[in-house]
Amino acid sequence: MAVLKVLELGDYAAGYAGRLFAHQGADVVRVETPAREPAWASAAAMTLYLHANKRRVVDVSPVVMAQLAAQADVVICEGATASAVQATGFDEFTARAKVAVTPYGMTGPKRDWAATNNVLLAAGGYTFIMGDPDRAPLSLPGHYLDFQVGALAYAAAMAVLSGEDAPAGNTADIGKLETLMSMSQFTTVRYHCAGEIRTRHGSDYHFVTPSELFRCADGWVYVNIVATFWDAFALFLDRPEVLLDARFTTNDLRMENRDALHAIIAEALIDIPVAELGMRAAECRVPVGVVHTFDDVLGLEHLRTRGFWVRGRAAGQDVDVPGVPFRIDGVERPDLGVTSADREVPAW
Amino acid sequence: MVSGPLNGLKILDLTHIWAGPLAVRMLSDLGAEVVKVEAPYGRGPRELPSSPLGGWIGGAPGEDPWNNNAIFVKLARNRRSVSVDLKQAAGRDLFLGLVAQADVVMENFSVRAMPSLGLDFATLQAANPRIIYVTMPGFGISGPLKDRVAFGPTVEAMSGFTTVMGYGQDEPRNTAMALMDPVGATHAVAAVVTALQRREQTGRGSFVEMSLHEGGVAYNGPWLIDHQLGERITSIGNAHPVMSPHGVFSCAGEDAWLALACRDDADWQNLCSVVPGLDATSNLARRRADAPEIEKVINGWTVELDKFTATEFLQRAGVPAGPVSTTPDMAEDPQVQARGFFVPYERFATPMPGNPIKIDGLDPAEWTPCPGLGADNAEVLADWLGWSAEQTEAALAAGVLADKPPA
Repeated sequence: MAVLKVLELGDYAAGYAGRLFAHQGADVVRVETPAREPAWASAAAMTLYLHANKRRVVDVSPVVMAQLAAQADVVICEGATASAVQATGFDEFTARAKVAVTPYGMTGPKRDWAATNNVLLAAGGYTFIMGDPDRAPLSLPGHYLDFQVGALAYAAAMAVLSGEDAPAGNTADIGKLETLMSMSQFTTVRYHCAGEIRTRHGSDYHFVTPSELFRCADGWVYVNIVATFWDAFALFLDRPEVLLDARFTTNDLRMENRDALHAIIAEALIDIPVAELGMRAAECRVPVGVVHTFDDVLGLEHLRTRGFWVRGRAAGQDVDVPGVPFRIDGVERPDLGVTSADREVPAW
Repeated sequence: MVSGPLNGLKILDLTHIWAGPLAVRMLSDLGAEVVKVEAPYGRGPRELPSSPLGGWIGGAPGEDPWNNNAIFVKLARNRRSVSVDLKQAAGRDLFLGLVAQADVVMENFSVRAMPSLGLDFATLQAANPRIIYVTMPGFGISGPLKDRVAFGPTVEAMSGFTTVMGYGQDEPRNTAMALMDPVGATHAVAAVVTALQRREQTGRGSFVEMSLHEGGVAYNGPWLIDHQLGERITSIGNAHPVMSPHGVFSCAGEDAWLALACRDDADWQNLCSVVPGLDATSNLARRRADAPEIEKVINGWTVELDKFTATEFLQRAGVPAGPVSTTPDMAEDPQVQARGFFVPYERFATPMPGNPIKIDGLDPAEWTPCPGLGADNAEVLADWLGWSAEQTEAALAAGVLADKPPA
């Protein structure tokens, strides 16, 4: 791409948006401010993952901030509240594309409510449906929400740039709560169309049976057998007799007889190593995923041969870092360089 | 077509299930002109064997149940539908004619599907050198796992995420919500707008690949770095490695909960001003050491209150807190209502989730409901290919086009 000038203000969502710009060759300047919400990983890891190939500055005055914003093509501004975004001078910034990222959006009665990811995941309907039915619901660890919102912020800015002649403004308002609510698979329509409130069922997808985590000899596997894969799954299990069992001939029946079916699957898998189950899944062409540890993921030949990892350096060590997940025309992902934050404001 | 920055962009949508359709919905919400190209069986047979997961639009299957699957409908606004049999030579030729007029083709089939139809990228590029082709297979188009069957929940297992998801190290859980599909969707949208800008500069189209698995692994990026640095990463339930307290607390009522967190000492002191029995002078190290006792005190306070009242008390004091929302709670959230997030544009005024990207000039009042299968055959083929009504009728009679599933 032509070298876009991107000004990045904020925490992890803005950082992720800036990461996508930086990986595409944009000139990203990040204004460092202390993050209000602590991260799920070390500072070294977060910095390498989010801020490689950017220039970072600290102690930027409002005047200089406005100057940077005036020269930028894109401003991504994430704040803990709507007022925090406005306090940066966001409304006056004159960039070609501007994106405000906040927990609840720039308007509405909760625009200045305090939030963390676990609070938003709860309000956004995710938490209630995760975890076991007889226990407290489970929140989602990590930065899923930040990274999803960051990807949307990047997309919004790029869309605005590509459509400068279109009848739309240049400012996007992305609320994290609404991002979550836009990404429910069937929670809201099931309520509005069938009058049913989705609840939690552990690891069980519940409406497709079997869909559950099962122990095997040296780990776990997840099976997710929609109806079209039932016959092949019986072969995967090496239990062809289940195909003739009247309790299991349809998904509705499999749901009714879930416990009996789960017992058969558990017994069939418990003594088999994950490696063999992975091979069986490939041979039988069934949606079965072996549970990978982080060591497994880092060692996957599949990802190595695809050039997924990029090299970076954190805390004095060379490490593998996931590349940006999309690839255009097979272009190699760039290696990562992290520079320390500086007080010198870059020239644009 | 709705107004938006992507006006003028023509997308052929061959996607199905969730990740692909969600990506296309976001693009159509931003103003792209989308034609959904569907197989005659693309929405299932004429009589579906059971109720769909999300129920039926209007609460009943109606006379055309294939058009009333609520999950499908939710993802298919703002587009027109052409139903064409790509397994027939005439259908394939028709499709390539549409490709010649399009900017983007998107699909999330297995890696074998499009080549087996004779519609690989080289063929599409021959029809239109400026075409941007987006494929979203589970594990990408190359590598030892490329032919694995993938759905969101199985990809989640293979991403490493199960290491951190659960009630503790010995109690792993799958989210059971196909988390990797929306990750794939947002990044597919990011990929499309990136490819568009490249095309502006090069004049050529491109081949875009979005692997669901790589999306999932990328989400674990910071943990994977820490793991290589020697950190032991494991599931810690609803706790946080730094924030304390951080969790989900029981409230008055059946299965009623509230989430809260203290980002720093200021949040903690604010919490102490609301919840009796907590020590406002406690620092983070002490709070982490005393977490079980602190959580007990907080639970003793929350359990006496409904989740909304407790949230109000905490928010007034500046503490990050919110209800663990059920679906009705989501729909009735005053913030969501004030911003008009759920939009009743669909049949029966069914509220549908909105677009999380709000841009001046984008107006959900312009949104159009999900079209019936093949409902726009004649209109699209006339607009894009200059077909006459007679040509469309002949293709329908020959089974190249369809407007309902085969009998």
